[in-house]
Amino acid sequence: MNPNFELRNQVRHFRRAAEVTQQELADRIGVTRQTILSIEKGKYTPSVALALLISEALCVRVDELFQLERGTSDDSK
Amino acid sequence: MIPSESAATWRSRTSLLATILMIVGFLLTGISWWFLLISAVGAFGPGILRELGWLDDKDEFQLQAIYRAGYHAYIAAGLMAFVLVAYIRSGERQIDHPQELATLFLITLCFTWFLSSLIGYWGPQKGAFRILLTFGSLWLGFAVLSNIGNEWRGWTPLLLHPLLSLPFFAAAWLALVRPKITAGLLFLAAAFFFQFFGMFQRDNLSIINQGVTFILFLGPLLACGLALLAMKKSEPTDE
Repeated sequence: MNPNFELRNQVRHFRRAAEVTQQELADRIGVTRQTILSIEKGKYTPSVALALLISEALCVRVDELFQLERGTSDDSK
Repeated sequence: MIPSESAATWRSRTSLLATILMIVGFLLTGISWWFLLISAVGAFGPGILRELGWLDDKDEFQLQAIYRAGYHAYIAAGLMAFVLVAYIRSGERQIDHPQELATLFLITLCFTWFLSSLIGYWGPQKGAFRILLTFGSLWLGFAVLSNIGNEWRGWTPLLLHPLLSLPFFAAAWLALVRPKITAGLLFLAAAFFFQFFGMFQRDNLSIINQGVTFILFLGPLLACGLALLAMKKSEPTDE
């Protein structure tokens, strides 16, 4: 990935808004709770398929869940 | 990736079965070393089935942790191979027990994979905490039992030997609050115990004969130290 971009996600925000626990979300989409935790921490970038499953489970668009943010080096240009 | 209804149950059953096979195979080596092949089925069977596409028991994050662990095991075993070949072929070396050499490689390979997959799955801090706590407890139990099991050797060894497990417990706690400092201390502890156990002598690479001690004692210290050193930021709490 281009180092000038950083992937941010709002999974934790939307999951809490939907009043769903990490375990419940994990059960809905067939992954482990640790996988959800790692995505929320930004430690793991999910595949497109998994991102779509999460967005479907939380009833949120994928681009609301995941965003690419420009790094500081690009901001200064 | 299409999740199935019983995915979580199936996943845990596969890991449980593989673990049981590994333990049973290892225990049966007391009868014949051929039973070690049962452990091989437990250790590598699931991986082979996954590569063939016949087993779908892990989600993509778990698979990533497994693949990275495989790469780490390759690096660790490969480095050890280079060092040992250089050492053995650089002079008139006498390998008293070649079977120990094979065991050292096997343990390095499997143990690196095992620790790395746990750290990859749990994250460096939580992984280091759990691994150090587990191995500290194992060494504590071993130290106590070895002193009271066969013959009574007095209170001094009984009280002093369990101190070997102290670095594990101290580092487990410290890993949660000061990961980078813990990493440094773990490396220092590993270097100290490497010297303490007399694992390297110029004309007698005793590490070959002490491979199990080296891997089971120093392995967790080095693996957790590397993981904590490489981590980028602190881990938030679970829910």
